[in-house]
Amino acid sequence: MKELHFKQLDEKLYHEKLENGLEVYILPKKGFSKTFVTFTTKYGSIDRTFVPFGESAEVTVPDGIAHFLEHKMFEKEDGDVFQKFSGFGAAANAFTSFTRTAYLFSATDHLYENTETLLNFVQEPYFTQETVEKEKGIIGQEITMYDDQPDWRLYFGTIENMYKEHPVKIDIAGTIESIDQITAEHLYTCYETFYHPSNMLMFVVGAVNPEEMMNYIRENQHKKEFKEPKTIERKFEQEPVEVAKTENSLYMDVQKPKVYMGIKAKETSLQGEEMMIHELAIQLSLELIFGRSSDFYVEAYEKGWIDESYVFDYTLEKGFGFAIIGSDTGMPKELMEAVKKELQKVEEKWPYGQDDLDRVRKKKIGYFLRALNSVEFIANQFTRYAFNDMNLFEAVPVLEKMTVADLQQSFASIQGEKQQTVFSILPKKDQAKS
Amino acid sequence: MFQSIDLNQGIRLHIRSTDQFKTINFAFKFKHELTNQSASERAVLSNVLLHSNELFPSNPAFRSHLDELYGTIMYLDSSKKGSDHYITLLAESVNDQYLSTGGVLDQVMDLLQTVLFRPNVESDTFKDSIVKREKDSVIQRIESLYDDKTRYAQQRLVELMRPNHPASIGANGTIEDVTSITSESLFAAYKSMMEEDELDIYIVGDLNVEEMTSKIKNAFSFKARGAKQKNPHQDVEHQSVEKDKVNEYQDMKQGKLHIGYVTPVTFTHPDFPKMQITNGIFGGYPHSKLFLNVREKESMAYYVSSSFSSSYGLLFVLSGIDAGKQEKAVRLIDEQLEIMQNGDISQNEIDQTVAMLKNQLKEALDSARGQIEIYDQYKDLDESFSVEDWFKKWEAVTKEDIQKTAKSIEKELVYFLSGKEELSK
Repeated sequence: MKELHFKQLDEKLYHEKLENGLEVYILPKKGFSKTFVTFTTKYGSIDRTFVPFGESAEVTVPDGIAHFLEHKMFEKEDGDVFQKFSGFGAAANAFTSFTRTAYLFSATDHLYENTETLLNFVQEPYFTQETVEKEKGIIGQEITMYDDQPDWRLYFGTIENMYKEHPVKIDIAGTIESIDQITAEHLYTCYETFYHPSNMLMFVVGAVNPEEMMNYIRENQHKKEFKEPKTIERKFEQEPVEVAKTENSLYMDVQKPKVYMGIKAKETSLQGEEMMIHELAIQLSLELIFGRSSDFYVEAYEKGWIDESYVFDYTLEKGFGFAIIGSDTGMPKELMEAVKKELQKVEEKWPYGQDDLDRVRKKKIGYFLRALNSVEFIANQFTRYAFNDMNLFEAVPVLEKMTVADLQQSFASIQGEKQQTVFSILPKKDQAKS
Repeated sequence: MFQSIDLNQGIRLHIRSTDQFKTINFAFKFKHELTNQSASERAVLSNVLLHSNELFPSNPAFRSHLDELYGTIMYLDSSKKGSDHYITLLAESVNDQYLSTGGVLDQVMDLLQTVLFRPNVESDTFKDSIVKREKDSVIQRIESLYDDKTRYAQQRLVELMRPNHPASIGANGTIEDVTSITSESLFAAYKSMMEEDELDIYIVGDLNVEEMTSKIKNAFSFKARGAKQKNPHQDVEHQSVEKDKVNEYQDMKQGKLHIGYVTPVTFTHPDFPKMQITNGIFGGYPHSKLFLNVREKESMAYYVSSSFSSSYGLLFVLSGIDAGKQEKAVRLIDEQLEIMQNGDISQNEIDQTVAMLKNQLKEALDSARGQIEIYDQYKDLDESFSVEDWFKKWEAVTKEDIQKTAKSIEKELVYFLSGKEELSK
C-alpha cells in the first residue's frame, strides 16, 4: 500500500493496485462519522460497440444497456440488495453516466459488512430473462419521467444537435423501444467485458482505518477467481468537427422558452495533466466571459434575457467535449445573439490579462477547497479524474501554475462558428397560436 | 454540540468549534410570520440584499469581491417551516490556514455586516430599478414551478388540501403579491426584518469560540426585539376538502400520482418517533412496502415513496406511473397502508428502518449545514437534543405502536396529473 500526502490540503491518500487489477484508494477524513464507498467501472452509455470478452468480432448492443445493467445488478436470486444494505443501516445507490457506472453506499455503522455487500453484489451477476422483462416496466417509467422534464430534453436536444456519430448523443437510459430488445444474454456479454476488476476502481472516504480496510478488500478479492484481464476494444465512428445541426427546437408544456447554445470541442484526445490544464483553462475562460462578474452577465441580466436558471458549463471526456450556455428566457433570439457576439469578440482579440486570471483562479481554488468537505464529491470526482489519468488532488497546484497563455490556447478548442448550435424548448401555447 | 449565547433579547448566537471542515460556515436565520404577503416581500428582499450594497453598489462589483475572497459563497435563502418564514443569510468561507494568504475570514465577516446593515439605498429606500428587476426574477422563479411536473403536482395537492394555510403558502409568495411590492413597502419589510424578526446566528468551523463571540458582538449591533413566542404550528385553522379525488391534465406523458393523508402527529407530538418509523416502513426507503410491492413486484413505477411533513401533520405518497393505471396504483398503495393497519409488520422491517433513521441522523451531522439545520429544528423542543436520546426513542418503538400509528393515518385526497384526456388511450 502506497501513501500519498497532499500537504497543503492536509489529506493523506492510500493506494494499492490489487493482483486482479482493481485500483483501491482510501482517504480517511477526521471528524466524520460516515464512510462513503464507491465501486465504479469505466463503462457508460457511450460504450455500445466493442469486442466482447474472449471474442474477436465487434458487436453493437441496444441503447441504454449500461444503465439497464446497473438496475439489474441489484436483483439477486435471494432478493433485492437494498434489503441487505438497509439491514446494516446503509443508504445505497448507483448511477450511470456517459463513461462510468458507479455503485455506492454511505454508512455510519457496519462498515465492513456494507463493503462486503457492495463488492459481492457487483461481482456476482444474476440475470434471467424473466427478471430482465420485469425491469422493462420500471425503466420504461424512468424514461417517461425524463421525457417530461424540459431541462433534460433541452440538454439532450443540444447534444443531439452537436454530434453526428458519437454515441454521447444517445440518451443514457435509451428509449422504450431500444430497451425492449435487451436480453439477459446481452447483459452477461456487457458484464463480462466491462466489469473485470482491472477496469474498475474502488474509493473509500470518511471514517475508515486505511490499513484494516485495505486488508479487508484485498482478502475479499483474493478469495474470488477472475479471468486474465484483456484490453477492452471499444469502437467509435469518426466524428467531424462541425455540428450535426445548427438549430433545432421542441414544443413542450412549459411557461417560458428555454434555450442552450452548445459548442462542440475540437480537442478531445488529451489525458493526464495535459487534460487537467486544458479543462481547467477552458472552465476559467468561460467564467471570465460568461460568469456572474462578466460584462456579458450584467447586460443579459439587466435586460432580462436571462433569469436564475442561467447556466454555463464545460464537459470533457476522451472522445467528446462541449460547452453549454443558456437560460429560461422570454427573449431566446436576443440571448443567443449576445452569446455569439461575445464569443466572436473573444476570438478577434483575447481580452483577459493577469488580474482577470488571478480573480477567477481564486474563485476556482475556493471551490475545490469547499468541495473537499464533501465525501461524495471526493469519491465521484476522484474516480472521474483517475479514469482520465488525472489526480483530483493536483487540481489546486495545477490552477496555481496556470497562465493567461494556457487559457487562450485551450479556449481555441471551442472557437469557431461551425462548432456552435442552438437548441430550444418552446411553450406549446405559442405553437397553437402560430 | 453548539454553545448558545443570548446576545440581546430575541437574538441568539450558536457557535460550534470543530476541525472537521476546511471552511467556516455562517447562517443568520431571520424568522417572521408566514403569509403570502410576507413571503413575497421577503423573497424579493433576499434578492435585493444580494444584488449590491453601499460598498459594492453594483452586482459585478459585489461578485468580483466574492471571487477575490476565494469564491466565498454568500447567498440569501427564502424558506418556510411550519407557520414561519425564514430569510437565511448563508456564507461559507475557506479557512485561512489552507491558503497562502490570510485575512479572508475577517473580510468575509465585514462583508456579512455590510450586506445586512448597509444596503444599496437612495433617499432612504431601495433603488427602483433593482427592485423591479428582482421582482421579475422572483416572479420567474414562481412561474418555473409549472415546468417541473412533480413539484407542480405536489403544490396542487397541498393547495387543494389546505387552501390559504401555511402548508400551501410558497416560500416565494405569489405572483400577485410580488407584483404589488414597491421600493417603499420593501424597505419597510427590510426594517422590520432587521429590527423585529427573531434571529438565530450559527457559526461552525475551526475557530476560537470566545474570539468569534466578541467579533460578532462588535460587528453586528442588533437591537433587542419582542420576546420569543413559541409557535404552535398545528393550531392554524383550515377548510376541509370537499372532494376525495381530483384529476387535472397537461400536455405530458407520465401520470403523476400524489396522495395526501392527514395524521394527528406533528414534530412536537410525543408519537413523532413512531410516525418516523411508520412512514419509513410504508414508503420512506428502498426496503419499504411501497418500493417492494409497487415498484419491484408490480413494475408499475420507477419512483414511489412516502414522506411525512411533520410541521403540518400531513403525509404524502408520490409516484410516477403510466397514465392509464391510476386505479390500480391507488389500490396497491391503499393495500400497503391497510397491511400495516392490520399489523402485518415484521421485526426485520422495523430493524431496517431504525438502522436507516440512525444512519441518516448521524450522516446529516457530517456537514456544517446539516449540523446547523438539525440543531435549529430540534432546539424548538423542550428537551435538549442528543443523538443517543433519539436512537433510544426509535429503538423503543414496537410493532403495536406502528400498527396504531398507521391506523391514525387517514387518506384525504388523491390528486392525479396526466396527459390530456383525448390523448390518453
